[in-house]
Amino acid sequence: MAFAPPHLGCNCKGVYAAAQFTHRYIYVNIPVARDQPTGLSPLACNFFAPSPLFLSRPTMRHTNRPRRGKIFPAFFAAALLALCSLPAAAESPPPSVVVMTSYPEELVSLVEAGFEKAHPDTRVEIIWRRSGDAMSYAEENPGHIDVYWAPAQRAFAKLARKGAFKRLPADMAGLPAKVGGFPISDPGGLYAATEIAGFGFAVNAKRLREKKLPQPTQWTDLADPRWRDELIFPIPSRAGFAPPLVEILAQGYGWEKGWTLLQQIGSNARPPNADAPNDSRSIAKGRVSVAVSLDFFIRAAIDDGAPITFVYPGVTGYSPAHVGVFKDAPHPDAARTFAEYVLSDDGQKLLFHPDMRRLPVRPAVYAGKPEGYYDPFQAAKVMPFEFDNKLAQERQGLNNALYDVMVTDQHERLRAALATVAKAERAAAGNQAMRAKLDRARKLVTKLPITEQQANALSGRFVSNFEFADKPDANADLLRGWAEQVARNRRQAMRIAQQMIDAQPGIGGAAN
Amino acid sequence: MKWRHTTAGLFAAATLICPGGAGATGAGAAGANALSAGASTVFGETREAYSQPSPAMGDVSRNVFALGRTMFGQSWVIAPARGGAAGLGPLYNRISCISCHARNGRGNAPEHERGAMRAMLLRLSIPGNGPHGGPKPHPAYGDQLNEHGVPGVPGEGIGYLLYEEHTETFADGTRLSLRKPSVHFKALAYGPLGNDILVSPRIGPAVYGLGLLEAVPDETLLALQDQAKPAGIRGRVNIVWDAVGQKEAIGRFGVKANVATLTEQVANAFNGDLGITTPETPHENCTAAQTACRKAPSGRASETEATELSQAELSATVFYHRALAVPARRGMDDPQVLRGARLFRQAHCASCHIPEMRTGKKASLPFLANQLIRPYTDLLLHDMGDGLADGRPDYRANGREWRTPPLWGIGLAQKVNPNVGYLHDGRARSLLEAIMWHGGEAAASRETVRKLPAQDREALIRYLESI
Repeated sequence: MAFAPPHLGCNCKGVYAAAQFTHRYIYVNIPVARDQPTGLSPLACNFFAPSPLFLSRPTMRHTNRPRRGKIFPAFFAAALLALCSLPAAAESPPPSVVVMTSYPEELVSLVEAGFEKAHPDTRVEIIWRRSGDAMSYAEENPGHIDVYWAPAQRAFAKLARKGAFKRLPADMAGLPAKVGGFPISDPGGLYAATEIAGFGFAVNAKRLREKKLPQPTQWTDLADPRWRDELIFPIPSRAGFAPPLVEILAQGYGWEKGWTLLQQIGSNARPPNADAPNDSRSIAKGRVSVAVSLDFFIRAAIDDGAPITFVYPGVTGYSPAHVGVFKDAPHPDAARTFAEYVLSDDGQKLLFHPDMRRLPVRPAVYAGKPEGYYDPFQAAKVMPFEFDNKLAQERQGLNNALYDVMVTDQHERLRAALATVAKAERAAAGNQAMRAKLDRARKLVTKLPITEQQANALSGRFVSNFEFADKPDANADLLRGWAEQVARNRRQAMRIAQQMIDAQPGIGGAAN
Repeated sequence: MKWRHTTAGLFAAATLICPGGAGATGAGAAGANALSAGASTVFGETREAYSQPSPAMGDVSRNVFALGRTMFGQSWVIAPARGGAAGLGPLYNRISCISCHARNGRGNAPEHERGAMRAMLLRLSIPGNGPHGGPKPHPAYGDQLNEHGVPGVPGEGIGYLLYEEHTETFADGTRLSLRKPSVHFKALAYGPLGNDILVSPRIGPAVYGLGLLEAVPDETLLALQDQAKPAGIRGRVNIVWDAVGQKEAIGRFGVKANVATLTEQVANAFNGDLGITTPETPHENCTAAQTACRKAPSGRASETEATELSQAELSATVFYHRALAVPARRGMDDPQVLRGARLFRQAHCASCHIPEMRTGKKASLPFLANQLIRPYTDLLLHDMGDGLADGRPDYRANGREWRTPPLWGIGLAQKVNPNVGYLHDGRARSLLEAIMWHGGEAAASRETVRKLPAQDREALIRYLESI
């Protein structure tokens, strides 16, 4: 291995050469000829020549970690280093940009490499932080971070409200603030979407055929009881990517109908804890027919040959990731350069890479998209609703808690109630009086304990499960009350349905 | 213990190079020939080819494997932090294991000169012996350069590579450009490294199949050492300090066979590369000269754990490495592959890249025991000549010696990491470049390849890509 002198600092090659050879000969027992790395002053080099003290075997106490040699004759080393460093010119580190993110390493590495290629003189320093902990880190380390770049909508919104970001350059032409009716960037220009991920259905066609199930294209398709145990639906309070699903349905179909759909789909889903929320293996191996997921979780599996397809339903939504530059960025120019890079054509095209598989926010780059890649801007031309992102952010914590009350914590009861009502409906056939009672029973099963107006009013009391609440149990009584009310409603619905079933000879027995 | 002369080694020679084992899957003759790792062979050529658990692992271990995979993929957080995985640094190279071992495969040198080392590191030492005969760490920088530091702790500095290209010419006139890296430093934060600094750049190695290599008996390696070899090829075991067992042992991990056990290898990597303390490496990676580093806060895996990685997490990560399966060989009936296999033997490549051996009757995990494996390594040190020499001794390995790297699965390396590099420092951009860097004991093999016509060179490479 050849070595070259560093850019700065002294060179004592000539002074040291003879001693180096002797030194090497004693220790390595092979005379390897090569240039000398340096950094020592000539004065220090003379001191650094082999001496009996330096060459003697160190009296190092063994630890489990011998590699860094903490107990090296420190006084000698310190004196030596002090001598070495005296005349050496101080060298300032190269420009860097400190980026806080919660992205997985595979993705970070790709962007780091792309950025370095475009800006070889600027180093990227990554501070990894979960989105729920990012804000506190930024507050506790003022003037340390340049850029926040992460899929963390609520954290961005909170930081923006606290005045943490400086306005992004106005010349980010070609970057829309919305995909159809779905807002993706801060309307105030404090942070911008860098990519979006789309919600939809991962479908195993082979399993569909085996189970004689139709290809699902809309959320309403998944409400049919035929899908029971044939789909995976992520629990919003447990899977970080899942909370927007609640609002997509609640806003796409309206509060009442959206929540009814959520419960019907949730009841068909495999029981909580049966599958990892973003684990593509269950669908790839054909253990289920459909998994509701984000596209990039599934695209990687498809690329690796899994026999699945991904379907974007008509009513869908996107989970955007953002970039923002801190007001107190220690490297403001580099920060701006990084933000511009991730939004540039080159940065956006990286999103097509198999390790990313996210959707670019710059429409122009879709001209070079891989074959079969989804174009949300084209699809958005038929987007049927305007999405209120602010409302979605505000209600996220409440939605997560409400979903657990309605579905997660009462999964078996919900299933049993819907199944009993369905059985009674079959029994009732054309009996209008009975059908009317059963309509009431069905509504009771999915009846929410609060109205939309109440939900809006209460939303401020809840934080998302992925953030840290000051008082984690603050809503315990409220939630207990909701759960009891929902359980009462479902018991009542089942009583009504059972009465209908019992009234029809030959139909009795447990629902199935 | 006398490592160099042992009758046990002669006895174990019978377990070497005994083709024909069917592995544990009950595959037929053709199928058995494809098995790289006995019952721990997996089939598939996707980018996830190195990321599969051994089929023999059993369902009961899946949770442990999953925890290990999580630890390996974890992006670590600077302490203090809420939500776990806190303890990155104070000094570190990267924030995650997979930074340097993407999809469990090999890393790579920076794509461009002066580029950041994102999947490699610089091993440092000064002349002399450290504890138990290992390398002597630099008093200020320790035994590797950590480029990054947590807030308040200066990163140690920046290392970068410059390349010098030269051309090798084959007998048929074909020319091949090789690049030789030289290491340079800038922005050193803890003073000069000194004129006698010993530096060795290393890309992250692939991490599959390691449990099986660990299960190869010492006697087998000693027998290989003592075995007569052609064309001036020698080979010897490295004897290192086993920090876990607190004894001398044969080294088998690391590019100089400088680590004896997988547990130590994993713990050292957590500690040295990420700055994560473990039960085996309970101290932060700070030298005496790094005062800010020594004062920086540490994390704890839990209230009852003293280190940032718990014993369960360390054990699971080690288990993960032991249980990662090896991709099957492919196209073994292809005439070009068969021709390449013949050339591989004729050029004496197989004298060090041993095609077959058997794991011991006892292994750390039962399913790793008594397996016929095809790792294409002897785990021995060989003099590889001046061209590859790093001049940095490591226990018994001198500055020209390197452990024979396993070649199993290497044909999928580029699929797993399109920027993959070969050899210890990733200088080789192709397998043929890697061959042409062979020197020392392997010089005769290299010259045999140099004389091959293009068709034979292609067959040889095709064979390497198949194994």
